[in-house]
Amino acid sequence: MSSLSGLKYFVPVVLGKAVRALAKIRGGGSAFPGYVTTKLAPRFLEDVTGQFRHGIVYVLGSNGKSTTTHMLTEVLRGHGLKVFTNPSGANLPQGIASSILAESSVFGRLDADIGVLEVDEAFALEFAATVPPSTVLVLNTQVDQLYRFYETERVADMMLDTAQQAKLHIVTNREDPYLSKIAKRYKAGDATTAPDITYFGASDEVIAKAPHGLFNATDYRDADLAPEPHAALAELVSTDRTGASITVRGEVVDVVLPAKGLHYGIDAAAAIATAAIILGDDFEGSSAAKAFAAMKPAYGRGELLAITNRQGGEEQVEFVMFKNAASLQLNLDALPEPPEQVLFAIDEGTPDISWIYDIDFTGLDHIDVITGAKAWQIALRLEHDGMKIGAVEPDLRKAIDLMKAMPKPNTGMKTWIVNYEIMMLARKQIGFLELENQR
Amino acid sequence: MSATVTLAQLYPEELGVAGDRGNIMAIRERLARAGASVSVVEHRVGGTLPSDADLVLIGNGPLSAIRNIYDDLQTIAPELRALAGNGVPIFAYGSGAELLGHDVTLLDGAVIAGLDVLPFRTTRVTERKVGYVIVDTPLGQVVGFEDNASLWQLDSDAAAFGTLVAGGGNGDGTHEGVVLGSSIATQVGGPVLPLNPLLTDALIRSIASRRDFDYAPGTAHADLDRYATRAREVISANAKHVFSRI
Ligand SMILES: [Zn+2]
Repeated sequence: MSSLSGLKYFVPVVLGKAVRALAKIRGGGSAFPGYVTTKLAPRFLEDVTGQFRHGIVYVLGSNGKSTTTHMLTEVLRGHGLKVFTNPSGANLPQGIASSILAESSVFGRLDADIGVLEVDEAFALEFAATVPPSTVLVLNTQVDQLYRFYETERVADMMLDTAQQAKLHIVTNREDPYLSKIAKRYKAGDATTAPDITYFGASDEVIAKAPHGLFNATDYRDADLAPEPHAALAELVSTDRTGASITVRGEVVDVVLPAKGLHYGIDAAAAIATAAIILGDDFEGSSAAKAFAAMKPAYGRGELLAITNRQGGEEQVEFVMFKNAASLQLNLDALPEPPEQVLFAIDEGTPDISWIYDIDFTGLDHIDVITGAKAWQIALRLEHDGMKIGAVEPDLRKAIDLMKAMPKPNTGMKTWIVNYEIMMLARKQIGFLELENQR
Repeated sequence: MSATVTLAQLYPEELGVAGDRGNIMAIRERLARAGASVSVVEHRVGGTLPSDADLVLIGNGPLSAIRNIYDDLQTIAPELRALAGNGVPIFAYGSGAELLGHDVTLLDGAVIAGLDVLPFRTTRVTERKVGYVIVDTPLGQVVGFEDNASLWQLDSDAAAFGTLVAGGGNGDGTHEGVVLGSSIATQVGGPVLPLNPLLTDALIRSIASRRDFDYAPGTAHADLDRYATRAREVISANAKHVFSRI
């Protein structure tokens, strides 16, 4: 890139960075600086990301975007690549623009070999016109956020349409009825030209063992409701308490997972399939396994935080975070035994919780404290199962005090099953500050 | 009380995406705690609707799922009409309820014919109503969560389920749902029956009077009632909160 073309970004980038610095001092939002720069230099994002040797990867899906983005980023770094990625949850276009701006030089350069971006499915297609993806990884279509999308089919189409914007590779879930049929969108039922299509999946044995299945949405528009069969480049073949085995190109890769749960195993297979197709012959199972072993748990997914209880004893809090029915059920299914001390919480950050009546709570034998604005609604649901409930305390601070007043559990660990918003609040209240970029 | 009550739930997978299982659970649990035995029959495509059903429930699902059950619903329509004609109450929520009305006009102008069992018709619109909803009904105040993009237009002689205190309801700014005899169609979710024991008990009482047994909630219902009361208080307090649609 010539210095002249670099100079054209000097003013917009400096301005954007200045706005960003001001916004940070004021403790304000992080999306506006990206807006400033992109308004002043509309092609800035495409030019900056267009310099990446391996282009941009989009990670889309109803569930597991943050986790998988994190996994893929670390696996690629484990292969020596410089990876740019957006902070977890900052997955709307202006937020992504701001994080690109933050790491760009004033000449519009960002020193990375590849970008791995978690992108909100509702904005992904539009964003692809600004930052074209070379690879699109689509994780799953689950009945989720109906208040936002209403039709699961519509979400599936948003993701399938975005996947087709990939210049090189589409990577998707063989076990997902909607996504497994993406090849049908191409002439003759197969994409023989770019992009190529790669699948990840789980073995029949693994799926058969899942008490409530994988929670992928049924494809009612197709006469064949089930997924279309395909060979998988990466297949989850077993999971245990701490990890999973994934076969890739005939090799078995044993990975340590950030948290217990089948969904994390499938996310790992998705990350490995994507890394393998991007890296080609350079992909090494041992490097991937090493990257998983070194990975820190993402925020709230299997994260263990130290707290001091009322008696001054040191214990740990295990956060089990869920977004919707699928992630709550899969997390409950992954509990090796009913946890000794349990806090369960949902607030108005999850507007519609009618799906809690579809959840099988037999993974728990009691709950000590129910909290959050939806606490009474949760208690009502669980009373229908005859669940033993210790206390219902909608105020989170008081609820945490109740948990702290309990004696140290034999496992040394209290389990807090929470939605995203409560996880963020509870973390702060036990003294763990929010990190700006968790990756 | 030693009655056995049969609840028929239509299409639990396709029309059961909004916690509709919770409506069944509420009726079953309240009957069980009053000493009745309850049998729940899930009607699926290709099955036979039980002719001795005491209550028929249908719930909410996406248009895509309606494709899947539509032919079967036409097939069982005569049995469904016969049950309704015999005074068996129907409790219908969301898009399942809409299929029991006259018809449903979709955004693209296409019209899905309904079963004409309930006196209203539906027009799907672009603007969604999402959030807590409060309705004053002859039974008392009913609260819940609504999430739909449907306008319900009642026949001129039809009665609404209730009058809106908060939320969007039928879309006319005033009414929510429709009733016909002991049958109720509503867009109040949450699900609505666990949250509103007065409504659940009214449905149970109409079963009880038809089957000629006594039903009265007692101490076994105290925790269910207490949690419902507190949940309803919070919902009423938070009902003004409008959930943004992104
Ligand atoms: Zn809000």
